[in-house]
Amino acid sequence: MAGGRGDAPIIALDGVGKRFRSGVEALAGIDLAIPAGGFVSLLGPSGCGKSTLLRIIAGLIPPTSGRLVRGASDLSGRLGFVFQEATLMPWATVWQNVYLPLRLAGKRRDAVAARIAETLASLGLAGFEQAYPRELSGGMRMRVSIARALVTEPLLLLLDEPFAALDEFTRFRLNEDLLRLWQRHHWTVVFVTHSVFESVFLSSRILVMTPRPGRILADLPIDLPYPRDGALRTAPHYTEQCRRISGLLSEAMA
Amino acid sequence: MNARVARIAAPLAVGLLFVLGWDLLVRLERMPSYVLPGPLLVAETLWRDGPSLLGSLLVTLRITLAALAAAVVLGGALAILFTQSRLLELSLFPYAVILQVTPIVAIAPLIIIWLKDRVFLSLLVCAWIVAFFPIVANTSLGLNSADRNLVDLFRLYGASRWQMLRYLRLPTALPYFLTGLRISGGLALIGAVVAEFVAGTGGTDTGLASRILEAGYRLQMPRLFAALLLLAATGIAIFAVLSWLSQRLISHWHESVLPPEE
Repeated sequence: MAGGRGDAPIIALDGVGKRFRSGVEALAGIDLAIPAGGFVSLLGPSGCGKSTLLRIIAGLIPPTSGRLVRGASDLSGRLGFVFQEATLMPWATVWQNVYLPLRLAGKRRDAVAARIAETLASLGLAGFEQAYPRELSGGMRMRVSIARALVTEPLLLLLDEPFAALDEFTRFRLNEDLLRLWQRHHWTVVFVTHSVFESVFLSSRILVMTPRPGRILADLPIDLPYPRDGALRTAPHYTEQCRRISGLLSEAMA
Repeated sequence: MNARVARIAAPLAVGLLFVLGWDLLVRLERMPSYVLPGPLLVAETLWRDGPSLLGSLLVTLRITLAALAAAVVLGGALAILFTQSRLLELSLFPYAVILQVTPIVAIAPLIIIWLKDRVFLSLLVCAWIVAFFPIVANTSLGLNSADRNLVDLFRLYGASRWQMLRYLRLPTALPYFLTGLRISGGLALIGAVVAEFVAGTGGTDTGLASRILEAGYRLQMPRLFAALLLLAATGIAIFAVLSWLSQRLISHWHESVLPPEE
């Protein structure tokens, strides 16, 4: 699968469980295949282990049972991760922060300047190259964080509740911008959130998780056509989906 | 009152009151100058003996700055080694603490005896022992304070140990290091002076501390006070220079040096 498209999973989890040294069982028996090119949301209440699951997918922590199966495409260096906080280096400018993954890969500045400029522009950050993170608003910082994840042209983009700390207007704008970029580049996205509305708006597929130990309660395709824009938020079929999934979520909590 | 004016005017007023009180005390009690010289007499002595005292100050300053430089290089290197090897940190850190908590006046005579032909070196070692710990402790703390998520991000992008150090741990540690440096600057001066005190007078190239001792023996209190004044001014100058340096290096990003919100 040279193109990395189609239904072949880019990454799969086979009976993955995680028990922390403290004895807390965060995840149990997760079977999951992430198809290339999809926008998959992990939806669940706080503490259901969805962030832990994302970290396992990223390879940042090992599972205590089960295994992680990588697809045919080589993900090393092609994996983007966006944290709940912007997690920027405060001593570095916007440009330097976005350059970081390329610098770590040994790329020279002048060789990637055009790509960085393009990435910054696509996130509305043109003109802010020399700004320091403290000079930016929360939403702008998150844009820089996303730009840093996208500049490597990732095959797999992992986002851990990236917009949870932002106000609603900013969150909506960033949702739409993220979707627009996803449709252009078609990376595979795994998006962790506790917002039903956000997950329905963005995803092609939603995995609803139960509270600790986290299991996958439901695997739901969202058949709203792309491109989606702000008008969708008030459309009846959108709210209908949200209602259905809210119902499932309260069932998960019970 | 304007905050800026207050910052300068308030301590100045206190200083002025202090000098006036001092002068009054000396005049009213008719203090002999070998017990407590008046401020005018001290100023006069400072003016008269200034050139010769400055020569001695230079000797002390050389020891201080060399000790501070050694503390930065060795303390910084030790802190970096500690972050690279937990075993090394576990094995060496207690000894760094022992050096720190042992009173320098107790070890100084030994060091001076062991290095008896190399006066400068022996004084340098004493001052270094006093000065290096804050740099080691603060820099170690800073190197280990890197944002956990950033550490994960670096790992995700396959950063080497060197890249992790160069692009993440060292910049994170810079403000901590600078705090250590400001403390060490003052301590290096104290260490140099204490070492000179223990070494005693002797030789021609004597530092300010020996001049203080000598003046004390000869009951030349005005000169003693003048030398003390120079020493204090030097300490303040070192602190000011290091503070300015900190400001320059991290003012564009670190919370501790940001201007107040307007």
